[in-house]
Amino acid sequence: MDFFEAQDHAQSRSKFLVLYFFCAVLLIIAAVYFAVTGGVFYYQHKLGTGASPPLFTGLRLSLTAGIVVPLICFGSLWRTSQLRSKGGAGVAQSLGGRKVSYTTQRPDERMLRNVVEEMAIASGLPVPEVYVMDHETGINAFAAGFGLSDAVIGVTKGAIEQLDRDELQGVIAHEFSHILNGDMRLNTKLSGWVFGIVMLTMLGRGFWRFIGGGSKSRSGSGRGIYVGRSRGSGGGGGGGDSKGGAGALIIAVILVAVLITMVGFIGEFFARLIQAAVSRQREYLADASALQFTRNPEGIGNALRRIGGIHHDSVLQNPNASEFAHAFFAKSLTSEVSFLATHPPLKKRIARLLKDWQGDYLKPRPPLKKQAATKKKPNRGSTAFGDAMGGLGAESTNGAQGATSDNFQQMLTAGLFMQCLGNYSGLFTENS
Amino acid sequence: MELIFISIPPIQRITFGDMIGWIILGVIVLILVGIVFYVIGIYNTLVQLRNRFTNAFAQIDVQLKRRHDLIPNLVETAKGYLKHEKETLENVIKARNQAASARETAAAHPEDASSMQNLRASEGALAGAMTGFFALSEAYPDLKANQNMMQLTEELTTTENKISFARQAYNDAVMRYNTDREQFPAAVFAGMFNFLPAEYFEIEDPTEKIAPKVSF
Repeated sequence: MDFFEAQDHAQSRSKFLVLYFFCAVLLIIAAVYFAVTGGVFYYQHKLGTGASPPLFTGLRLSLTAGIVVPLICFGSLWRTSQLRSKGGAGVAQSLGGRKVSYTTQRPDERMLRNVVEEMAIASGLPVPEVYVMDHETGINAFAAGFGLSDAVIGVTKGAIEQLDRDELQGVIAHEFSHILNGDMRLNTKLSGWVFGIVMLTMLGRGFWRFIGGGSKSRSGSGRGIYVGRSRGSGGGGGGGDSKGGAGALIIAVILVAVLITMVGFIGEFFARLIQAAVSRQREYLADASALQFTRNPEGIGNALRRIGGIHHDSVLQNPNASEFAHAFFAKSLTSEVSFLATHPPLKKRIARLLKDWQGDYLKPRPPLKKQAATKKKPNRGSTAFGDAMGGLGAESTNGAQGATSDNFQQMLTAGLFMQCLGNYSGLFTENS
Repeated sequence: MELIFISIPPIQRITFGDMIGWIILGVIVLILVGIVFYVIGIYNTLVQLRNRFTNAFAQIDVQLKRRHDLIPNLVETAKGYLKHEKETLENVIKARNQAASARETAAAHPEDASSMQNLRASEGALAGAMTGFFALSEAYPDLKANQNMMQLTEELTTTENKISFARQAYNDAVMRYNTDREQFPAAVFAGMFNFLPAEYFEIEDPTEKIAPKVSF
């Protein structure tokens, strides 16, 4: 594997994907414009003025763009700043990480710190803070932080126990290249854009609910926005025209709202698709860069083979892991549909790293490392089984809870769309 | 063109012969100033590149020093277990002392090729002695199980790795410097301003590559 060539390839691929992303945003604006146009057409048609309205007006376009563009921008900026505000250390803590001090005397942590320092020299980056996720028995690692100054690296307990020095070095090198290539920054921005599109869906649903709520309150207590309309129909006389107009307007607005919601959903889906594709390219890039730093394809290659070999592979149990799935060494979620996966398949990655790989995985290596672990934790042997069993059942429910509470929080902080909170979070859980 | 020929002569009667002296002078001055700036540019580039590789050497130097500090501890720990292997331990200490003094000279003048060659040779010898020591310690399971020994081995391993990664950066910087220094116009001035060729840092002993791979 020629790593410089591989780096160039991955970099140009992900540039294209980011371009697609911007195109997607533009298309969404266009789609919303047509949704609004459709609404206007319907309204005019119902009014029966005869003359069909112009397909394109500057006013309508600027109104649409004036609402959609700031909405997406605001949504993405807000989300980006929210993701940023945690900083690398905050992310590590929310994933259940424990900081490893510079002066640690535990042999395994000492080795981890040393390996991180080695890779800092090899990559020419400052030494980041190091975290250990004590409750994770899968083999995985992550890099977090927006820039070089707040970058951190976290490693699971499983990785420390299962990987040898060279393998750990490969994994850490992979994470360093995420820091060096600015992948966390890229992904934070992409997540921001995805959220901006999600806000569009919320806007559509907000419209919908607003009208739905309005008509409900009308039938309930006889008060509300549409009181005038019901009185008009009762009184007869000259109210006929305005009655038809208002009805048509409501239906037109609902139509627009439904269309915008649909555009938002489709947009979100494709945005996530592109984001996942970008993430996968960046993983290949990080593998290639890890090779450049360590000049040792066996290290990182065998680490991946070992992930393939253990029952628990690289899955994390912390519910917050879903939000940072892209920052990990290997996939961190149990159920990843291939086209929405943040990581390329293990087999493809290993095949790119190790030329004459036979397709076999490495067996877990408990005996030697376990001994060292038993000294620290007397009942280690019994808990390992419990962890493995508990993990199986807990993962799916944890994931769903994580997604729900996360969205719940988004909405709460957003404030703007409080009214559709219940609806939206329910919907999201069904989806995920 | 015609206009110029017609309009100028009546006003200023300067012949081409009068002007040519000034033109030549001006061109010469321009060329001289250009050359001076060019030489200044070359000089500054060479200074920059030299600083870069000496700085890169400082990174290696830190790790070399650390390794030289660790080895006496290692020998001290091993002494109790390797009572009958005095010779090997003495070899290690001797090689270590030689390398430590070579390091001090090289650190004072990283641009001096001969001190760098000296360091390379003595580091090679030390690596050889260490390989012998670790090969020997394989036969002493008690020593391998010693907590202190395990810690020291890990520290030595990481220092070795750091040296080799820092060495890549150093050698890259040396290559940049040497290439710039040897290219044509710079090569003329490099000697004049005492920019000597820099030495790569490669450890000659082939066993050096095996030394950090100690498995316990």
